[in-house]
Amino acid sequence: MSKQKSNWYEFYKGIWEINPTFKQILGTCPTLAVTVSVMNGIAMALATTFVLVFSSLFISLVRKFIPNQVRIAAYIVIIAAFVTIADLVMKAKFPELSKALGPFVPLIVVNCIILGRAEAFASKNSPWKSVLDALGNGAGFLLALLIMGSIRELLGSRTILGYQILPNGFEPLVVMILPAGAFLTFGLLMGFSNFYLERKKRIEQQELIAKFRKPEVKVEVKGMEA
Amino acid sequence: MKTVIHMIATLTIIGVIAGGLLSEVSDWAVPLIAMNQKAETEKAIFLVQPSGKSYEAVAGAGFEIYKVFDENKNLTGFSMAYEGNGFQGKIRLMIGLSADLNNITSLEILEQVETPGLGTKVTEDPFRNQFKGLQTSPQIEWVKGKSPEKPNEIQTVTGATISSKSVVAIINAGLTKARQLKERGKL
Amino acid sequence: MDLLIIFISAAVVNNFVLAMFLGICPFIGVSNKTSSALSMGMATTFVMVLTAIVSWLLYFLILVPYKMEFLQIPSFILVIAALVQFVEMVIKKVSQPLYRALGIFLPLITTNCAILGLALLLSMREYTFMQSVIFGLGAGAGFTLALFIMSGIREELELTDVPKAFRGAPITLITAGLLALAFMGFAGMI
Repeated sequence: MSKQKSNWYEFYKGIWEINPTFKQILGTCPTLAVTVSVMNGIAMALATTFVLVFSSLFISLVRKFIPNQVRIAAYIVIIAAFVTIADLVMKAKFPELSKALGPFVPLIVVNCIILGRAEAFASKNSPWKSVLDALGNGAGFLLALLIMGSIRELLGSRTILGYQILPNGFEPLVVMILPAGAFLTFGLLMGFSNFYLERKKRIEQQELIAKFRKPEVKVEVKGMEA
Repeated sequence: MKTVIHMIATLTIIGVIAGGLLSEVSDWAVPLIAMNQKAETEKAIFLVQPSGKSYEAVAGAGFEIYKVFDENKNLTGFSMAYEGNGFQGKIRLMIGLSADLNNITSLEILEQVETPGLGTKVTEDPFRNQFKGLQTSPQIEWVKGKSPEKPNEIQTVTGATISSKSVVAIINAGLTKARQLKERGKL
Repeated sequence: MDLLIIFISAAVVNNFVLAMFLGICPFIGVSNKTSSALSMGMATTFVMVLTAIVSWLLYFLILVPYKMEFLQIPSFILVIAALVQFVEMVIKKVSQPLYRALGIFLPLITTNCAILGLALLLSMREYTFMQSVIFGLGAGAGFTLALFIMSGIREELELTDVPKAFRGAPITLITAGLLALAFMGFAGMI
């Protein structure tokens, strides 16, 4: 398993197993800042994925030529170049979105997800695998922003992607689109996902114990019920 | 020594390639960005002067103010871009004024960074529509929690009182400037 | 007056951490002890003021006159990285106690998005030189304040019975949410 990781694995591990936002707790700033609406979240995730894919590809291509001592500086220059391209393209083609995201498009350059993947993966793997890894992490980031954006937009302005979902009788929870709402939503999401994962782990462990100690199964179950 | 040269060479090559690439992309993007901004301003100029068909910038004003003409080339009024401090940051407005500067024709909010859901209510129609036809002399006043009585009064929005007041203050500051221009015969 | 508004705005009303979401990583990472929070805050403020000065000079005296605004992001980030290195070297030479107090935090600052955010914002808002310095000072003060308050709360939280799943980052984020609400009370000041 460890040696024979399939290419497909390099992609899907980023979506949940090592989800950059929920598992690695990287890129928190944009996750909190731009998720006022689903649309902003999608735009941010796509811009980040663009930078992630291209900088991973380039870093992986030139990884053998870069001396170890200056690798971080070289990575930063490559990442900053792609961020500038993303920023300029957004300003030129999608001025509304670029205005909504404000300084957070240029700030992709210090998004730890990108430097993190460059250092941990792209600098050690083939270009093809690095692109897959980048796409997977981008998708994971998109997933996180979608979840955050949906919750905040739905409760804060009753809409999703601008379409009204909740009835007029529902008073919008303005706090959800305020900065405070971002912190609260993210904290609760992380807490509940931990809770769920721990419960799953506990149940798995108990099942494992039950499997190996057949005679004691009944005792275990009884103990739990009591 | 060899590694040092190698290090410097790699960084230089990466830097030059990145710089060249960026200058290409920026050559392509910068005119487009300028065009977007111009289109946006143009749209706002006509939004606040519904009967306007063409416009012309007033030179030497020190801020953005445009003469707007209807289809017969008669002056219908002025569109003025003016900015000031809001609740959290800069608010930039496009204010439509009648030719005698005595009434506001309409108001557009070009830029703002107010609190989402609260301060941003000033960008919504119920607040902005209060300015249509509003009398500007001696200056615009605001009232809170009751309906406006005088022809130069507007009501602040609940939850966006400070943003509402800021908008009024910015318009008044802009009006003062516009009147000064008129006295000097530039309008 | 203008400068005072910029200072107050950056420090409390538009607090970098609690209202602008800049510098969340160190906010969560280094906010478990008051002493280290204060050191981190001071180191960041110091670098912020220097960054404000250097990036203002770089942007308005070199990039804008030569129409090279597109190099803004790469040049800012390299300048900040170099600056942090330089500060680390100087502090190490000048004062050993100060180095022991701030040293370990300095490398962390390079990847702190609050610093680059500061540089980008001051060029976006076209601040004058003096305004930029005050902006950097205010942002640093606000960052230190948020970090200090948070660390005080977290020291108390250690003693309370938080549900296991919420320990660490989740409860910190929820606390930050409540702090952000409290900071909204400053809003009417400007």
